[in-house]
Amino acid sequence: MVGPETHAHRDGPAAGPAGASLDQPFGPDDLYALRAAVAAHATHLGAPPDRVAHLVIVAGELVSNAVRHGGGRGRLRLSRVDGAVRCEVSDEGPGIPEPERAGTRTPSVLAVGGRGLFIVRRLAASLTIRNTGRGTTVTALVAVPEQ
Amino acid sequence: MENPRSVEELGPGDHACLTFTDPDERLDIVAAFVRSGLDLGHKVLCFTDSVPVDRLPGELEARSVAAQAAIRRGQLAVRGSERIWLAEGQPSARRMVDLLAGQLDLAAREGYPVLRMTADMCWANRPVAAIDQLLAFESEVGELFADGRLAAICQYDRDSFDAVTLAFAASAHTRAVAATVYHEDPIVRICRQHSPPGVRVAGELDFTRAEPLTHALAESLRLDHHIHVNLAQLRYIDAACVSIIIQTALGLPDDRRLMVTCHGLVQEMFSLVDAGEIASLRVQAAHGRA
Repeated sequence: MVGPETHAHRDGPAAGPAGASLDQPFGPDDLYALRAAVAAHATHLGAPPDRVAHLVIVAGELVSNAVRHGGGRGRLRLSRVDGAVRCEVSDEGPGIPEPERAGTRTPSVLAVGGRGLFIVRRLAASLTIRNTGRGTTVTALVAVPEQ
Repeated sequence: MENPRSVEELGPGDHACLTFTDPDERLDIVAAFVRSGLDLGHKVLCFTDSVPVDRLPGELEARSVAAQAAIRRGQLAVRGSERIWLAEGQPSARRMVDLLAGQLDLAAREGYPVLRMTADMCWANRPVAAIDQLLAFESEVGELFADGRLAAICQYDRDSFDAVTLAFAASAHTRAVAATVYHEDPIVRICRQHSPPGVRVAGELDFTRAEPLTHALAESLRLDHHIHVNLAQLRYIDAACVSIIIQTALGLPDDRRLMVTCHGLVQEMFSLVDAGEIASLRVQAAHGRA
């Protein structure tokens, strides 16, 4: 059994039952490889193509926030939970102000930024933002029915 | 040979070599060459091979060239390269030069001051073909350009020809033509699209490449009326880059539009930010895709 804290298999998605997961540290140069890993693991975790795309978008935006505003580095974990794939991104940045409200309002068409979390909230069944004092952990659940 | 030029800079007397690996880029440059020829009242002759004769007009139409109407009025002709070259069994450089000279005279008699010719040379790799005749043609055809009534782009697929042949072919031309590439790395390629004019992005695009995207859009903003952003070959875009495209559209005056062509995840990203509500932005599904 591959547990949620294990590292990704070096040469592709870890073989194993539905609990298999990806646990990957990242920096600014790892985004392309990370998206590819999320797509491969999401497929392996039973997500159909449209949900794989949603997970790639969600992971991409959370990782982008961590790199740009959260100290430049972080850690991504992907795992199967009941009825969903869980995507957790943690960083050691200063935290997201007003975490309950971040991304809840439709950004003005004139807004230069601020669309990332809004998009994540539209695609995720739930989103939790936790400022821990040592950084931020954002957890999104993307609904993926059991096979 | 001098540095490659943009297709807009080619004119009568230029015998240009286009070496390419991306079929979309080749068709974009061919479309721009054909379109400007039609606009300038030139006769245009397309020898095609990897794109079938019956499909090329549609490919040109999809790139804002009024090809069918031009064919009907006799200003544009599309022929198969292989059929012409191998019409008598064996390819002959001299026969092709004579044929082209005949076309040049015909165009003049029809009242066209200039003949534009573009030819896909990939037929020359077929077993029956003879590369030596192709290369002889490229050398001998130079004489037809002397009086400034002929302009040509010869297309060489870099994946089909060996390096020695490509180097010889390139040296037989007076010009090289290439796309303007703003940024290229193994993950994303951002280049100018000539027809319809704008920007083409292929691969995956995120905030780490925001700067070349902004630069490419700024150039199109300066050069073009409407801006066509071709994302048909883009597999991923993040919210930061979607925002840059939206900002560009919002900065346009009322009579200008920014058109995005995309599909799949990229199209969904534009839907997720309600891009459809922005008057100066049009998002359309890529040709031939869901």
